Amino acid sequence: MISTQSSEADALGTASFTPLSSNKSPELPELPELPESSEWFSTIGKKLLTGITGLGLVIFVVVHLLGNLTLFFSASAYNRLAHIIERLGVLTYLVEGGLLAIALVHIAVGINIHMNKQTARPVKYAQYVSAGQPSRQSLSSRTMIVSGLVLGGFLVMHLATFKFGTYYTLPDGSGRDLSRLVFETFHRPGYTAGYVVVLSLLGLHLRHGIWSALQSLGIATRPGLYAASAVLGSAIALGFIGLPISIYFGLI
Amino acid sequence: MKINLKIWRQEHARVSGAFVHYTVANVQPDLSFLEVLDLLNEQLIAEGGVPVEFDHDCREGICGACGMMVNGQAHGPLQRTAVCQLYMRHFSDGDTVTVEPWRAKAFPVIKDLVVDRSALDRISAAGGYISVKTGAAPDANAVLVAKPDADTAFDYAACIGCGACIAACPNASASLFTAAKISQLALLAQGQPERKSRVVKMTQQMTAEGFGDCSNHGECQSVCPKGISIDAIAQMRREYIRAKLPFG
Amino acid sequence: MTLNARIPEGPLPHKWGNFKDHCQLVNPSNKPKHTILVVGTGLAGASAAATLAEQGYRVKSFCIQDSPRRAHSIAAQGGINAAKNYPNDGDSVWRLFYDTIKGGDYRSREANVYRLAQISNQIIDQCVAQGVPFAREYSGLLANRSFGGAQVSRTFYAKGQTGQQLLLGAYGAMMRQVAARQIELFPRREMLDLVVINGQARGIVVRNLLTGEFERYAGDAVVLATGGYSNVYYLSTNGKNSNVTAAWRAHKRGALFANPCFTQIHPTCIPVASEFQSKLTLMSESLRNDGRVWVPKQAGNQRLAQEIPEADRDYYLETRYPTFGNLVPRDVASRNAKQVIDEGRGVGSTGLAVYLDFRDAIASQGKSAIEARYGNLFEMYQRITGEDPYAVPMRIYPAVHYTMGGLWVDYHLMSTVPGLFVLGEANFSDHGANRLGASALMQGLADGYFIIPYTLGNYLATTPLPEVDTSDEAFGEAEASARTRTMKLLSIQGDKTVLDFHRELGHLIWNGVGIHRHQQGLKKTIEDVRSLRHEFWQNLRVPGEATTLNKNLEFAGRVADFMELGEVMARDALAREESCGCHFREEFQTASGEAQRRDEPFAIAAAWKYQGDEQPPELEHETLVFENVELTQRSYR
Repeated sequence: MISTQSSEADALGTASFTPLSSNKSPELPELPELPESSEWFSTIGKKLLTGITGLGLVIFVVVHLLGNLTLFFSASAYNRLAHIIERLGVLTYLVEGGLLAIALVHIAVGINIHMNKQTARPVKYAQYVSAGQPSRQSLSSRTMIVSGLVLGGFLVMHLATFKFGTYYTLPDGSGRDLSRLVFETFHRPGYTAGYVVVLSLLGLHLRHGIWSALQSLGIATRPGLYAASAVLGSAIALGFIGLPISIYFGLI
Repeated sequence: MKINLKIWRQEHARVSGAFVHYTVANVQPDLSFLEVLDLLNEQLIAEGGVPVEFDHDCREGICGACGMMVNGQAHGPLQRTAVCQLYMRHFSDGDTVTVEPWRAKAFPVIKDLVVDRSALDRISAAGGYISVKTGAAPDANAVLVAKPDADTAFDYAACIGCGACIAACPNASASLFTAAKISQLALLAQGQPERKSRVVKMTQQMTAEGFGDCSNHGECQSVCPKGISIDAIAQMRREYIRAKLPFG
Repeated sequence: MTLNARIPEGPLPHKWGNFKDHCQLVNPSNKPKHTILVVGTGLAGASAAATLAEQGYRVKSFCIQDSPRRAHSIAAQGGINAAKNYPNDGDSVWRLFYDTIKGGDYRSREANVYRLAQISNQIIDQCVAQGVPFAREYSGLLANRSFGGAQVSRTFYAKGQTGQQLLLGAYGAMMRQVAARQIELFPRREMLDLVVINGQARGIVVRNLLTGEFERYAGDAVVLATGGYSNVYYLSTNGKNSNVTAAWRAHKRGALFANPCFTQIHPTCIPVASEFQSKLTLMSESLRNDGRVWVPKQAGNQRLAQEIPEADRDYYLETRYPTFGNLVPRDVASRNAKQVIDEGRGVGSTGLAVYLDFRDAIASQGKSAIEARYGNLFEMYQRITGEDPYAVPMRIYPAVHYTMGGLWVDYHLMSTVPGLFVLGEANFSDHGANRLGASALMQGLADGYFIIPYTLGNYLATTPLPEVDTSDEAFGEAEASARTRTMKLLSIQGDKTVLDFHRELGHLIWNGVGIHRHQQGLKKTIEDVRSLRHEFWQNLRVPGEATTLNKNLEFAGRVADFMELGEVMARDALAREESCGCHFREEFQTASGEAQRRDEPFAIAAAWKYQGDEQPPELEHETLVFENVELTQRSYR
């Protein structure tokens, strides 16, 4: 949907003109051409990518959460859901592949933006303080790279633990008993504590992330949306954390 | 009152700089922060020292020449206030004030607190205008602009080009500066013919100058002496999408 | 000697048209062969550079700031006049012309002012097309307001930032040509000399303010648009970098300086709070629409404003001028304020202020009405003074903010040095002895967008211009003299700083050639300024080096020129034995204390010719001929 030809930008000749401090005759030196960047990797293109992939991941996370919540009803409901997903076959692989691609793009762009930030300010301030409202700078916005990387690492471990973890079969042999694995895992204090921490970081990531994705897509966000981002981010994090806590303390 | 100053001194771009401590006595609350630097400089000259260089001109917050980090904040602690209009009544006797130049790769230090902001001129040259030749204009009232659009365009046009948005941005991004001009012109009927090329060219130049990418921290809108909103940045992105969509 | 203004033939309304119809044009293919040096990037300089570049000339543009967008035009608040008559309230080109020439107290040139009024409409069209966000009505059409006591609403505005918006429009036009490589930009360069070869202006010598290097640039014409010289008073509403240096150095190379004593003093500025204050801030005079000006009746008052009962307050403007009251023109308001302050009735900690009180306006119209009208000004006042003008009266004091005088130019905007054109506030041409509100922006843009392209073209097309390059000995001589002067400033190593001298000079000029002037005072000012200048060259201390950014050194050069200018201002004020516009000579007033103009013999532009640093300048004049307006005496009683 987005044109990939870059000839238009070249023809505009924006890359070079008189350097302002030049003391040369009108025969002007050639300035370096701009990098031939496709729209997606321009500075705004990157924001669109992070925004779109970010929102995609938010949708996934919400769906995932709804799936998790079935455990509050019953283990069999949870297992049935897992079973349905498993039986989708090729479709599951397609969705999984898509999600993986989205996650990788999101991570790659995030790291690129972070690295650009380092080059754009090689000398740091000795003292730096946020000017406060209406600044949207927060612990959340400042730690996106940290929370993001932790979540990326967690994703691998999470898949190893659950998706590729022990394959318990249901007593009636009708499929995988995923809920048993979940209950076992969340009786391990270390894992549970770690999970709670990481999912809190997800909340932190989403606090800035949801709002920021909308802003990146050009939706001028009003204070209400900014607040909603905090509410939704926390709700997602609490939803995820609720399950292991309930299991660990034997509430379900 | 007495004010202690911890000021970044750097002779030129190719040598490293360092903080130097000074004390200025008899600072009256009605003095502006730049007047305290004036006082310090008079003191330094009397002692045979070299004055602290800083850019300044109108001293009423409109020319955009002045700008420095004061206690870690661009233009100091007051919002919607350029440092030339920061008065000492907002400080207390004995305070130590840290003063640093704008820091960004695209803003190399020239001397002390003076930085080279010509990157902003080059972004403007890349498309921050309407290509109308003198004499070619229709009657001023032939072009209608709805009042809300005209008012918002004015709010964006109020940018003074001081560079505080970049200085305060954790990523050293020039998005607010660039977006303010793009969005101003996009809101006006006169700006339509070049609407698409403008956003592409200006944002390309912004990247080429070595500014960072925007992470929506929104710090820029808090330090902007004119209070320009990051809604301008959202609009810039819409303009970009529109420019790149095949039927946009 | 009488100067020839080269005014075109024909009736007033047709002069500019006749000129355009018959002036010589430069062939388009020849335009790129001409290099034009434009100094200054304010409204006049930026609009000239952009327009000349659009036409195909090679333009080199110089400014002292780090970016052309920072020129002091940016600080103009109020608005820009044009005879559009959109409100249908009776305005016309004639009326704008008449108001401007009358407002200038008949000391400007009819033909120039009429042309200005004619061009005014095109300026608005041009700026709107550039995307200048002027205020609009709900219909989407442009809004107008009445300004500075005008009877019609002819002022276009962009909140209180009209100058900024117009300048950014011109800056944009200029940057478009920079991108097209038609303009080469030289920021942080200060013009230190004009190079005259075979009697023609052919180049400039500038100092690169970052490296300290002296640079030579040759061209076929030099356009100066370097603004006014209000900073000769030290404290003014001008930016700290505004200076007379480029114009003054051109003056010393043969350009006559006209009417230097015509300086406008604005009545509603925020008063000086301390000795170390570096500049004054103007507040829109629209404040006087609702504010009442007063001082205590008794001198030596120690009470706070709110403790002074009604009976002890002197609303002196309302008493003295029952018809106009608080809305008397700028010079009348300033003069009366100075007078009551001199009587010891000034208010505030320094005693150098009068009250501008909104108490009654707030009581009758409500706080919200006043806030809607003046909210941003009140906020600005509070930011600077720390006082809340809704609760206590504002304190105001007059401050210098515009200089009508400047380099003498003819109808073509060319100075007495062929090839040297002077635009905007730097020239003397259109405002006579007093400038009307919202006219400065109009003049700067008229000169740059619409006049210079024609008159400069005519000059280039009709003048033989032999090849010159920067190795010419005239360049060598000019560079050497600029270098010597600069190095001299550094080498004195005396006891007083530039700031000390500038402050002292400011006091002398303010007291001698300020709101009112008289013979004795002026004679003394000439002597005092001269001896201060001599002391300056003996006892100045400039720190640092000449090879890096050294703002003290820059300022020293500018103050040195202000010293010379200050003396000529006093001489001009002394020679002009009449009161007119902003020039109030105490010896020349009516029985009721109003300015007494003497059209015979002073309906002239007084143009001073440099004769050497220690020689008094020679006075030449241009007789102002008024064929279309009747010269009347102002009365605001």
